[in-house]
Amino acid sequence: MARVSKEERKSGIISAALKLFSQKGFYVTTIPDIAEKVGMSVGNFYNYFTSKDLLAKELVLYISQYLGDKIRAINESDDSSEIKIQKIVTMYFDMATEKPEMIEYFLRVYLSNREVFGEGCEGMTCVSPFITEMMIFFSDGVESGELHNQDFFSAFGLFMGYLGGMVFLFGEKILPDPLEEYKESISLNIYNALKTR
Amino acid sequence: MITKQLVDKIEGEASLYFELEDEKVSFATVSFPHTRGMELMLEGKNALDALVITPRVCGICGHAHLMATVRAIEDAYKNAGYEIHLSEKVELLREFTLVMEMVQNHFKWMYLTIIPALSKLTNSSQELTPLKGAFAASIATKAIATFAGQWPHSSYMIPGGVTADPTNIDILKAQSYLSELKTFFEKESLGVSLEDFLAFDSCNDFTKLSSDVGALNEALLKTDMHIKGFADDTFIVLGEHTFTEVTKLKHTRHIGVQHKYVSTEPSYSPHEKTYAKNALYKDAYYETGPLARSLSNNFAIIKNIHRRYKDSAYSRVMARVFELASLIQHASSLLKKLDIADTSFTKSVDISKINARGVGVVEAPRGPLMHTIDIENGVIKKYSIITPTQWNIGSSHKEKPTPAQRAMIGLTKEEANFVFRTFDVCSVCTTH
Amino acid sequence: MHSKQDKKLKLLWFQGVTCNGNTHSFLNLPNIEQLLENFEILYHPILPSIYSLEEILKLEENCDLFLFEGTYDPLMQHNGVELSKIVDYYTKHATHVISVGTCASFGGMFKATAPERNSGLIFNEEESFGPLLEQKQKVINLSGCPVHPEWLSYTLSMIVSDKEVEVDELHRPIELYSNLAHHGCTRNEYFEWKVDVDNFGEKEGCLFYKQGCRAPMTHASCNKILWNEVSSKTRVGTPCFGCTEPDFPRTDMFSTKTNMSIPQDTPLGVPKRSYLTLTGIAKTFHIKRLEGKLIDYKTTR
Repeated sequence: MARVSKEERKSGIISAALKLFSQKGFYVTTIPDIAEKVGMSVGNFYNYFTSKDLLAKELVLYISQYLGDKIRAINESDDSSEIKIQKIVTMYFDMATEKPEMIEYFLRVYLSNREVFGEGCEGMTCVSPFITEMMIFFSDGVESGELHNQDFFSAFGLFMGYLGGMVFLFGEKILPDPLEEYKESISLNIYNALKTR
Repeated sequence: MITKQLVDKIEGEASLYFELEDEKVSFATVSFPHTRGMELMLEGKNALDALVITPRVCGICGHAHLMATVRAIEDAYKNAGYEIHLSEKVELLREFTLVMEMVQNHFKWMYLTIIPALSKLTNSSQELTPLKGAFAASIATKAIATFAGQWPHSSYMIPGGVTADPTNIDILKAQSYLSELKTFFEKESLGVSLEDFLAFDSCNDFTKLSSDVGALNEALLKTDMHIKGFADDTFIVLGEHTFTEVTKLKHTRHIGVQHKYVSTEPSYSPHEKTYAKNALYKDAYYETGPLARSLSNNFAIIKNIHRRYKDSAYSRVMARVFELASLIQHASSLLKKLDIADTSFTKSVDISKINARGVGVVEAPRGPLMHTIDIENGVIKKYSIITPTQWNIGSSHKEKPTPAQRAMIGLTKEEANFVFRTFDVCSVCTTH
Repeated sequence: MHSKQDKKLKLLWFQGVTCNGNTHSFLNLPNIEQLLENFEILYHPILPSIYSLEEILKLEENCDLFLFEGTYDPLMQHNGVELSKIVDYYTKHATHVISVGTCASFGGMFKATAPERNSGLIFNEEESFGPLLEQKQKVINLSGCPVHPEWLSYTLSMIVSDKEVEVDELHRPIELYSNLAHHGCTRNEYFEWKVDVDNFGEKEGCLFYKQGCRAPMTHASCNKILWNEVSSKTRVGTPCFGCTEPDFPRTDMFSTKTNMSIPQDTPLGVPKRSYLTLTGIAKTFHIKRLEGKLIDYKTTR
């Protein structure tokens, strides 16, 4: 068997934990559950994360960085804001389909158990990479004249609240069609709501 | 025969065109050849931007322009149904910095304008001390900067108050600049204490002074300035302040005024293009500035001078010197009333909600300064500025001369040039 | 042998389209008397001068230092003599030309008087333009509306002592303009922790977020070399309007231009992404000391 690096081990824990937390819930999932899933002893687990809370925070950072990197690549393209919206929606829905645990964790754990994310994860601290890229997306759009200038949170809420809601409906198996089918109409709705009037 | 005289060092330039008879001026017109189109520049801008732009009308009295703008915008708020009530602290701070700007102006005028001009007229070999004026002015502007951040070109007055939130340390600092200034003035200019000077009640008292002011008094009398340079003996004061009495005077008779009767007309300038307009009140010209303010305030000594020498060049000069003294004392009383716990700023609705006209009138060093602003959704639709020099140094026809035109009649060219400067001309303000 | 008198540099201060603000700002200089002893003042708009304006306009005398205040309008006339001729004549012989203030440096406030032809001596805003392009190595721009007296005093003193004044790409002395107006601002801590302020008239809060303060983007030493030796705009709660920069005067000067609540301009040289990352994090910490009043005066009434 090939030697597994510490980093690889760590990402193994992260991906296992994400799945467990989003399936079973944060409080029900225990450290032994996670250790078992990655095939390591509980003692060894503590070499990577000293507590469940710390792991929880690390997971948010991980997701935020993942989303941030994806949006950054979109932001750095020469596309119009309309195309960027399509790309962000596509990226988000693809992620919800392919790695549902990431979005699930974000919606079900991070947003629902705020008491866990107090110290060290206040406000935007742990989601900064993601929020920063959304800020850049919005401000570039206004600067280029494509998007209507308004309060950041009004625009952010419209965009991400909408996507989060759709993913929630998808997760609850309420949506009649796969997420894929909604990309175009939702992108257009978001663009129409944000564009310069 | 028409003779042209280029006049400089009057905050810019002007041309005097003299008609001479037997070497004496029988008529004179005045042209101001430069303009910057500041009223037009303001159109289409956010109304608050006027607080940055109008101080740049003038390097020596920009603070008065700032105050006229802030009063005009606040008047527009009131007319739009959003009256702003200023705290006492705000009123005192604004008044203090405005007064100190007058003080710096009067110092500069005395040492850099009138004493050198008089010295030239008398061919005096007395050494000049122009930098005394600059030094005293720099102390006065330190006191302004303590609250206003800087001078020239502060924009610390804003609709609803001032941007500053001073501490007692600032007030003490301003007081100490003021007392430094007072000491300098007593030692270098007056030769007596400020209190003794302010207690003078006859112009004979000036003759006792062996000081710059004493010498000024003497030179004015020696050049017969007490029987020269008479204007029309009508005065106007329009800016409401703690140190003014808003009124119009015919000789010494007070008559009520309302700024709505102020108007302008094109200057008469047959020999050169001028950008100036004359200011009028109900179709008549008035002299403005320290002599007007001192008479309206019933200052005993100025009334005494006026009784003897009417509105001669002498009266005009000495009224400015006396006003300087009285303003230094007044500034000190303003500081004493400041309550540090009072608010610096009262918030009102956003300027974009304002659709109204507003008028702001203040007393600038040379007299009333009036700004009128028309605001549409917070944007300047029209802006109009009428400055003190437009009152004093209008240029009109022979049949209806303005104060300065009248004051130069019957004098030699050299005397006329001096008398012209007794009005403390501001070229940049005139045409703005 | 030359007497000391002979060594004095001949200084000529001339004006284009101006408000006189730089002239008056210079008079605030504490050591003005000592400084001026180094010069023979051929002409100055206020100070006693060897020649009258009329004599200066004859274009017969030469100066070593030509100080120009105000916007350059080639068609402006002084007593019938075109400004272009006056500037051309005096700068040809001068060893140094100083643009005193933003108008003379970049066009400034009075570029708007005749935008199609007015400019600074070697710049029209940021673009290389003006009457002295061919001798631009002589020109030192002292932008500022007005110029700070100490900045002019520094430049004159360097010239008197025959030292070279190093300048930036906009011909401004680097010793004066490498700083930002933000440096030394007493509100710096509020900037660091991103504590904004809703109202004017308060000691607390940074003016960058709402009130339009340009200090983090403006090259000037206003908070290092204080105005009137006493204070500065930001110290008394007035936003910096960026008056030393080529784009002065801007519009909507009392509000920060934001796109979706995000400042359009970030501090000089700081990428928007880095700025937003830091801001997002800093804003989440609610620091009581910075959110409260520095001093709570007990009302005596």
